[in-house]
Amino acid sequence: MQRRKFRAMGTTVELFLAREPEGGSKEVFDGAEREFERLEALLSRFRPESELSRLNAAGRLAAGEDLLAVVELAVEARERTSGRFDPTVHDALVQAGYDRTFEEVAPNGRTAATLPARCGGGVTVDRARGRIELEPGVRLDLGGIGKGYAADRAAAILSEAGPALVDAGGDIAAVGRPDSLGWRIGVETPAVTMTLALGDGAVATSGRDRRRWRRNGVEQHHLIDPATGRPAVGDLLRATVVARTAVEAETLAKALFLAGEHDAVVEAEAAGVPCVLVTEDERTVVAGGLS
Amino acid sequence: MTNHVVRLYALAASLLVLFLTWAAIASHPWSSGSRSATADPRVAAIHAREQRLRQEAVVVRRVVAGRWHHYRVALAARQRQIATAQRRQQQAAASLATSSAPSVQVVTLPPLTVTRTS
Repeated sequence: MQRRKFRAMGTTVELFLAREPEGGSKEVFDGAEREFERLEALLSRFRPESELSRLNAAGRLAAGEDLLAVVELAVEARERTSGRFDPTVHDALVQAGYDRTFEEVAPNGRTAATLPARCGGGVTVDRARGRIELEPGVRLDLGGIGKGYAADRAAAILSEAGPALVDAGGDIAAVGRPDSLGWRIGVETPAVTMTLALGDGAVATSGRDRRRWRRNGVEQHHLIDPATGRPAVGDLLRATVVARTAVEAETLAKALFLAGEHDAVVEAEAAGVPCVLVTEDERTVVAGGLS
Repeated sequence: MTNHVVRLYALAASLLVLFLTWAAIASHPWSSGSRSATADPRVAAIHAREQRLRQEAVVVRRVVAGRWHHYRVALAARQRQIATAQRRQQQAAASLATSSAPSVQVVTLPPLTVTRTS
């Protein structure tokens, strides 16, 4: 097994190749790492010169292929999840205190009390003219979906050298199988680490057990409920979803997390979305055909 | 003879007047108005209580009608909410189902890597 680890998009990224390619793994790993750096430069809301920051500042932009694709995927995901996943949570995140890279967010602090930020504003992607337009006052955050997109892209690059897996801080994309069983991916549960064997596909986890901080004495986290414009409150601690792509897994994990235990189980079962849910009272629930 | 008959008639008439007078005085015709004014106080209390209960019943009926109306309105709103939530859930499930999940199984082997909140 060949591996490489590096920092990108505010997390640790780990690349895996099932076997060493003929010309060595360095070039392939370099290509995948460069892809992460390239996409971070385009999609980060913390870099003023990124395409996303310029779009958020101007409200409209003649965007490159990748930003067009990610925004289009985000808008599709918003429709598919009935608005539970929503890229327009930028201002709500800033209001909650996540206004800089997570490493720079003060664990405790005070902010002026404000009304909840409005989510769900209009986003128009004009593929033919290569333009994105935002409704006035709407700004996008593509943190989670951007990481999933990067994991999918990097996995596609690595797969040219054989079965490969990319772990972007929990957003995992796999192409091919290292053996007959598949890639062994751990899912943390209160009791044990459950291992899933996965072939071509992806896994992502969304939860409020990490990326937390406090403002005015109140605990905050990075998963905004678009319905309230505030960090989500529910009976789930985290949701792990298996899907075809990391983008899909990321958006579905967020949607099921926000749905709460009952609705998440009902929807996952009905849709056949394999998932592992960890509840606030430390129970582990599997659904969607996983057993 | 004639005087004797006249005396008998006079005596009979005097007795008749006496009895009529006695009967008239015994019937206390002068006290009939005050008798109704000083009716039994328990009857008066029962009448007052009946009036009060009638008024209270009207108020209670009005309150119950108001609450029933509020309940019907709230029930209709709740039923609409439930229908909307069920429709949304069905839509969500239907839209999630558009993509087929990859094959995955739980195994008892150590993991290569671990997914966690990203």
